[in-house]
Amino acid sequence: MTGTLISLISILIGIVSANLFGKCYKQFSFGLKGNTLVGVFGSVLLIKSFGRLGFDPWFIMNNGDFDRLRLIINLFVSALGGVLGLVFVKLIYKKMNDESRK
Amino acid sequence: MEDMLFYDRLQFAFTITFHYIFPQLTMGLSLMIVYFKWKYLRTQIEKYNNAATFFMKIFAINFTMGVVTGIPMEFQFGTNWAKFSELTGGIIGQTLAMEGLFSFFLESSFLALFIFGEKLMGQKLHFLTGFLVFLGSWASGWFILATNAWMQNPVGHEILENGKFVLDNFSELFTNPWLLPAFLHNQMASVVTSAFVMASIGAFYILRDKHSEYGRLFLKTGVVFGLISSLLVAFPTGDWNAKNVAKYQPGTFAAMEGIFETEEAGAEIVLIGQPNMIEKKLDNKIAVPNILSFLTYQEWDRQIPGMDQFETEELPDNIPALYYSYHIMVGLGTIFIGVMGLALFFLWRNKLYNIKPLLWTIMFLVPFPYIANITGWYTAELGRQPYLVYGLLRTSDGVSPTVSSGNTLFTLLGFVGLYMLLGLLFLTLVGKTINQGPTPQKH
Repeated sequence: MTGTLISLISILIGIVSANLFGKCYKQFSFGLKGNTLVGVFGSVLLIKSFGRLGFDPWFIMNNGDFDRLRLIINLFVSALGGVLGLVFVKLIYKKMNDESRK
Repeated sequence: MEDMLFYDRLQFAFTITFHYIFPQLTMGLSLMIVYFKWKYLRTQIEKYNNAATFFMKIFAINFTMGVVTGIPMEFQFGTNWAKFSELTGGIIGQTLAMEGLFSFFLESSFLALFIFGEKLMGQKLHFLTGFLVFLGSWASGWFILATNAWMQNPVGHEILENGKFVLDNFSELFTNPWLLPAFLHNQMASVVTSAFVMASIGAFYILRDKHSEYGRLFLKTGVVFGLISSLLVAFPTGDWNAKNVAKYQPGTFAAMEGIFETEEAGAEIVLIGQPNMIEKKLDNKIAVPNILSFLTYQEWDRQIPGMDQFETEELPDNIPALYYSYHIMVGLGTIFIGVMGLALFFLWRNKLYNIKPLLWTIMFLVPFPYIANITGWYTAELGRQPYLVYGLLRTSDGVSPTVSSGNTLFTLLGFVGLYMLLGLLFLTLVGKTINQGPTPQKH
């Protein structure tokens, strides 16, 4: 049950990290809207893909034994997902809108 | 046990209600975006393309919020409703997996292409991506409704000795007589929501004298789509659904119409009244005789069984909530037809853009289609009680036996807090997009 809450918190962390990264590195930013959307999908993608290595919400709650270290790793990976999502989407966006390709 | 069941149902009701704010807009909006894009391809008038791009931004925000709030739904099947998942996984697993694999992937992939790929793909392919987003979002609705239709009217299954449901006939899942009317009714209701959102944004722009050209386009499109969809929600789709409830869940039909006692001849339709559960009657009722019999069976004198014909434990467990949900939905639907009909009349007379009271009304009506959609779903879900799978699996038998009510209440409070944050973020993002307005594309 608490695992479900953790999954939502880690998405929020993805949103925050993407927005912070976008603020610091303007060349990767899509604005508040775009950064938020990319943050959600970046964090979900990374946690869903790699969470089974031991830091998805179910490992964190491990039968009621709350594991702080795994939570920190989860939130870190989530934040990383937001940042990486922004970088990758910007690269794809630039490729797709490259004037020289038309 | 009763506490557990109550909190599990409350948590599911809260999370699904919040979740359904988003997909009901995306499903309807995707159709209207395809319309704008099609208009642009035909006329080459730039404002239609800008309108499509503008609403795709709103679509994307809603879609993302739908994904975030959909995650707890997926988890709750395992956490709060483990017995239900264990027993019915062989059936609902099929349709839910198909929803994820076919529709969600289709929708999300082509959404990204629609947002980023206009310059690369050219206009015809861009239209096609928009159409595939529409197809994905409506297919998503189809698979979810197929799941719900099976719960409302279980078909095509076999029950094993251990109580597990297994699929016996795959095609019956999708030819379930409950499915098509429920799907069409649901989709038309989502078009009502998006039409009101569009018309409301249009009215806002006209009243503020900002982006007025787009304001008129949005208002006109919203009003036309709004009236057509409001009519289709009532007839034939709503009518078809009600007939299905009368046929497959007659006890539910009696409860939602507020028929406590079976009348000898035709049944009356109740316009207003409050269920009095102690005296088993409707207080302060205003009713029209014989109309319900005619609407349901096209026979003025046809008897409709009242709640007195059913065992109490077979009837929905919260009759007032069911009755009010149904009547709020129907009442709001009638108001929508009235307002949109009036707006279309003034649009035809070329006066709509100058009638400020009507513009204010349209602008402030925007929460009500959401309420109508949600109370419509409450009607379906409260009506199915006390069953999860109608007639076969009781709700109390589907709950997880090891999750305490305290745990559910604690996480429910957590959801309330997190969803408030998400709600604020959503309003900020949508508010910014609307305030910014449609921006001309660089070609």
